Amino acid sequence: MSTKQDFMSEKNTRTESDDNDSHALRVQNLSKIYDTSAGRVTALDKVSFTIKKGEFVSIVGPSGSGKSTILNMVGALDRPTNGKIYIDDIDIFALNDSEIATLRNKRIGFIFQSFNLINRTTVLKNVKLPATIAGMPSDVADFRALKIMQALGIDDKKDQKPVNLSGGQQQRVAIARSLINNPSIVLADEPTGNLDTKTGNDVFAMLKNLSHKFKRTIIMVTHNPELSESTDRSIFLRDGRIEKDVYN
Amino acid sequence: MNPKDLFLLSFEALVDRKVRTILTILMVVLGSSLVVILNGLSAGQADFLQKQFNTLAANVLFVGSGQRSLSSFAPPSSNSIIINNVILSKIKSLPNVLDAIPVYTGSAQIDSQGNTQRVSITAIDPSKLPIELPNLQYVEGSTVRSNDRSAALVGDTVVNPQGAVNAFVTLGQTIKATYTYSDSSGKSVTVTKNFVVSGILKPSGNTGIDRSVIINLDAGNQLLHKLNKYDQVIVAATTPDDVDTVQQEITTQFGKTLGSTTPKAIMAVRMQTASGNAAFILMVGIIALIVGAVGIVTTLYNSVTERIKEIGTMKALGAQSSSILGLFLVEASLIGMMGASLGLIIGIGGGYIMSIFTTSSIPGGGSPVHIPPIYNLLDLVKVWILSLSLSVIAGIYPAWKASQLSPMVALRRE
Repeated sequence: MSTKQDFMSEKNTRTESDDNDSHALRVQNLSKIYDTSAGRVTALDKVSFTIKKGEFVSIVGPSGSGKSTILNMVGALDRPTNGKIYIDDIDIFALNDSEIATLRNKRIGFIFQSFNLINRTTVLKNVKLPATIAGMPSDVADFRALKIMQALGIDDKKDQKPVNLSGGQQQRVAIARSLINNPSIVLADEPTGNLDTKTGNDVFAMLKNLSHKFKRTIIMVTHNPELSESTDRSIFLRDGRIEKDVYN
Repeated sequence: MNPKDLFLLSFEALVDRKVRTILTILMVVLGSSLVVILNGLSAGQADFLQKQFNTLAANVLFVGSGQRSLSSFAPPSSNSIIINNVILSKIKSLPNVLDAIPVYTGSAQIDSQGNTQRVSITAIDPSKLPIELPNLQYVEGSTVRSNDRSAALVGDTVVNPQGAVNAFVTLGQTIKATYTYSDSSGKSVTVTKNFVVSGILKPSGNTGIDRSVIINLDAGNQLLHKLNKYDQVIVAATTPDDVDTVQQEITTQFGKTLGSTTPKAIMAVRMQTASGNAAFILMVGIIALIVGAVGIVTTLYNSVTERIKEIGTMKALGAQSSSILGLFLVEASLIGMMGASLGLIIGIGGGYIMSIFTTSSIPGGGSPVHIPPIYNLLDLVKVWILSLSLSVIAGIYPAWKASQLSPMVALRRE
């Protein structure tokens, strides 16, 4: 158990010893304007905020408020029209496409609403995928994956195909996958959106546990106000701007 | 991503779509096996012709009436002449001519100990045989004496017909030859004559000889009802260098009434025909390979479309565009490798099977000849590389398309 705890808190231990107040994420004057057939649409308008290491932050807002746009840009999946994003003090959009891919692999963990697991392969291989992409030796990746799966209670499912698991179990696999490369931030896009209330609450509790017990930095986009209130901080978006930024 | 993981991910993706993968591999198998079969059969044919050529003396040329001697397919020329002893003497008297050997040819039925087969009959002065066939050797016995009308030499294929367990004839045995022709009134006349086997020839590589019964010239004249009209004259030039000169002399002397050709010319025509056929059929094989490549494009393109979300996920998780490109190219390569390898195996086996069903007939009658395919290792490697290369080339576009997908766009796809 101690080994499991050591691994899960590895990042945080290092962070605390380095700089307790350092930022995992800094968003500065972020704007995104889309040119559509209907004209120019401002999805984000000079949004700025910072997130400390170990914070569990929810981004809340109605449809079209810019939640997903922010998440896509923080996840380096899309480039802004203006503004900057720093992850671990790295200006991510100063990087080229290849460097951005490496940054996504090493510093960002993704949890998707519909899990996005590869159903033809095993749970273990799914969890290992980011490590495999990073070129990590298979035995090291196996060790890390099994430790995380053990912590999330899915180590007994390692040889099963994701399609044979329940929604909650699949989302745990996705959470395990997001942690395999020990990322600086974990981005969760409606992680409970495809789950029933009870399973959704279990998954949320797991994320909260990861944040509080193991000091993981988690940014979660959600529609659910109850879940949002249970995070450390809620950033409310409306019409591409921050409406309010609340510490719960 | 290291190459081993890339390979495993690609392999898993192919296994996941078994039926489609197998069908695509089959397309490559079809193309590559077709090319292998055709290459093998062409090489076998070329080797067969070369062996035929090698059995003939380099200083001989064949002379016949009009165009008949030039090609078995051509009808006799209207102004052809009958080759008789007068013509023979004239040919013999030409400069640079060492000898002129008259030949009667025909097809007859041979009975031996209750078994029957149709064979080519070559009637020639046996003492002159080595002039045409310097490498002729005997398994048993010896040549026929020039004036011995009842002796016969028997070729290897006649003695050991394809599929027979026992020899058709043995040395010293009597065989009965039956020849049927129509007389001037259209009445069918049958001539029979017995011969004693005085020599059994070793396989010469020349199917004309191997499938023949060789008899004395006079016996041939009688059996085949030739009435002293020779079918062919084998003209031996003083040296191989004189062959063209002699041929020119014959043309000058006899015009188009006599046709002449050399083993070299026959060989060249046959080689040209064989290589023309081979080139045409090889094109069919290559077209089949290209069809297989189009199949790979379709398969991989569908695969990219179906796996667009997976590609998006992999990119979101940090996969480089080059890794995605590599993933699909490895899939194309695996299809190509499996298809090409299976194609070689099936092609080699298929070539042997096809050679049994596509036996070649030789002018002069008798049973068709089985020409086995010949597989050259270098040719096989070339076909393998060609199949693999076409597969990889076919995979480039879908792979490139996949690698260029924006992760954000790909993740939105359902």
